[in-house]
Amino acid sequence: MNPNLLAVPIALPLFTAALLLAVSRWGGRQLIDLQRGLTAIALLVNLGVALALANYTLSGHRLVLQMGGWQAPFGITLVADGLTSILLTMAAIIFLAVLPFAIGTIDFHRERMGYYPLTLFLLMGINGAFLAGDLFNLYVFFEVMLMASFVLLTVGGQPAQTHSGIRYVVLNLIASLVFLAAAGIAYGTLGTLNMAHMAERLQTAAPAVKTLLAGLLFVSFGSKAGLFPLFFWLPSSYHTPPPAVMALFGGLLTKVGVYTLFRSFTLFFPDLLVAWQPLILGVAGATMLIGVLGAMSQPTVRRVLSFHIISQVGYMIMGLGVAVDGQNLAMGFGLAAAILYMIHHIIVKSTLILAGGAIQIEMGSDELARIGGLVSKRPLLAILFFLAAIALAGIPPFSGFVSKLSLLQITMDSGHWLVAGISVVVSLLTLNSMTALWRETFWGEYEHPGRLTPWLLDAPLRRWLVLGPIAGLLVLSLGLGLFGERFFQMTNTAAQQALDQAGYIAAVRPVEPESVAGPADYPAESPTDKGGHDE
Amino acid sequence: MTQLILALTVGILFACGAYLVMRRGKIKLILGLGLFSHGVNLLLFGSGEMILGKPAIFNDKANFLGELATRSFADPLPQALILTAIVISFGITAFMIVLLNRRDTLLGSEIMENELAPGYDWLVYTDDDLEEQRQKQAESKGNGSSKISGGEPL
Repeated sequence: MNPNLLAVPIALPLFTAALLLAVSRWGGRQLIDLQRGLTAIALLVNLGVALALANYTLSGHRLVLQMGGWQAPFGITLVADGLTSILLTMAAIIFLAVLPFAIGTIDFHRERMGYYPLTLFLLMGINGAFLAGDLFNLYVFFEVMLMASFVLLTVGGQPAQTHSGIRYVVLNLIASLVFLAAAGIAYGTLGTLNMAHMAERLQTAAPAVKTLLAGLLFVSFGSKAGLFPLFFWLPSSYHTPPPAVMALFGGLLTKVGVYTLFRSFTLFFPDLLVAWQPLILGVAGATMLIGVLGAMSQPTVRRVLSFHIISQVGYMIMGLGVAVDGQNLAMGFGLAAAILYMIHHIIVKSTLILAGGAIQIEMGSDELARIGGLVSKRPLLAILFFLAAIALAGIPPFSGFVSKLSLLQITMDSGHWLVAGISVVVSLLTLNSMTALWRETFWGEYEHPGRLTPWLLDAPLRRWLVLGPIAGLLVLSLGLGLFGERFFQMTNTAAQQALDQAGYIAAVRPVEPESVAGPADYPAESPTDKGGHDE
Repeated sequence: MTQLILALTVGILFACGAYLVMRRGKIKLILGLGLFSHGVNLLLFGSGEMILGKPAIFNDKANFLGELATRSFADPLPQALILTAIVISFGITAFMIVLLNRRDTLLGSEIMENELAPGYDWLVYTDDDLEEQRQKQAESKGNGSSKISGGEPL
């Protein structure tokens, strides 16, 4: 397979967004239609490429692109393995699903201010962070993603948006600076930033270097993922932008942090997965519990949903904690379960946020105390929200069941009864919180606090633009639940690949500059870096 | 000695940045973040191997490993990293300043008491679409024929 394909998920959104920016400043609604069309085409191509990559890598291959033909520690390296391509596919699906919802609900001002180019920049940053093969490019793509998210969060310029935007920007900036400090320390102590090269040299590095690097990366990625002591930026900002933006953020941004945690701990510090297990599992348990308790105390639909993001991230980190653990189950079972949980959560969380956003726009408010009785007016929305809510809580046949079951299985198998118990209790509380949400919103007397008449779901076209994506994502969740075994085999392949440190290093093949005496030993062109000289 | 001074400077910059960020007030926030990023930039600067008196450029791509082995060019990587980091932090700082000013214009104060200023939910931002919709509904009530058939439950 041509490794140049790896550049497409980064280059395609970048160039499409640049094109859209060039045309977005002039003209009115015709150009907005053009923007929508071009965005849809770009997202479809992106999904196609992601699926092709997933098809290739999930049969056990890795794909490596050395930009410009430079050997690994010197050039820019892009790497795709199973975990990467699963997440690329999920990002592509969510962006594609949110697009119709955005067309239906995003207002004209935000569209004219560049909503569509900004989402494409966000996609570029997310894809780049998944594909990056060295630490500094990971930082750069994080920043691309964050800049796009800063603007998406605050475009429209409402006071709540700007106020929460400041907290979001400051805390994410500090997390990024911690990450940058980690990159600097990695370069100072290991002499390299290429991830495969770092993994190779960390095997013989001093324990202090390992601890320092792992600690800094855990703090910075954990803060981006929304882990327990560092999550507070998330619930204070996610409920302020329009629902279409929040669905992208809630579905994908924290998962980038989770992905980088998975990648760094499996590739750089596989031994710390055992040594730091109490820390990781403790953080996971606290994240789950605090997240769900926070959600139960919140007064509005979207705040409840943003606290649930935190509690669900705890489950994924619990899977990371038991990634190489277990007595009767195979090694890597925990990581496979965590990846499956990630897929489930990306789908279901976006669905719920879209449905919650539809409620908010329909009712003019999402304060639980003020709204009610929507089931009599919008039964289809009520059914979709209910199905998404029980999918999140983990009721079969939806995807929450298989993913939670496999996580629980591995946690009990490895004997971590306390965390397993916490996860069960949190599941129960999630179900309670979700049913409370549904009851407050849809049950009882019809109360419509908005000043304007309900309009969102009246026009047939707009109704399908809004409800279509929700229903489509629910079908995906149902498929994931019904064909759980097949998907688990896929994520198991991805987990085995992610845990195979030697395989990753061999695929990237970093050269050792110190061992190369002179020009005679300059390594020959390898089959993996043919092409790409035009970069 | 240089290393020690560099390390102490980085530490002092981090400490001052952390102190300023945690203070109330926007100027302190911006200055604190600036000091933070300067601290990280200096840390990156100190991370490279310092070779005196050599340019950070090599002569021949085919021979670069050989040139690296003989230390005939300075390490260009910290410079590239710092340059990238400076550009990024410059952009974010500019964005921060605009955001802070925008908030002050909207709220008329530097300190926010409530999470949501009353009447300023993003929905109250009455956009064209909403206005149009309302007019259309008013019209359709007036003359009885509507293209958007409202009111039907799904």
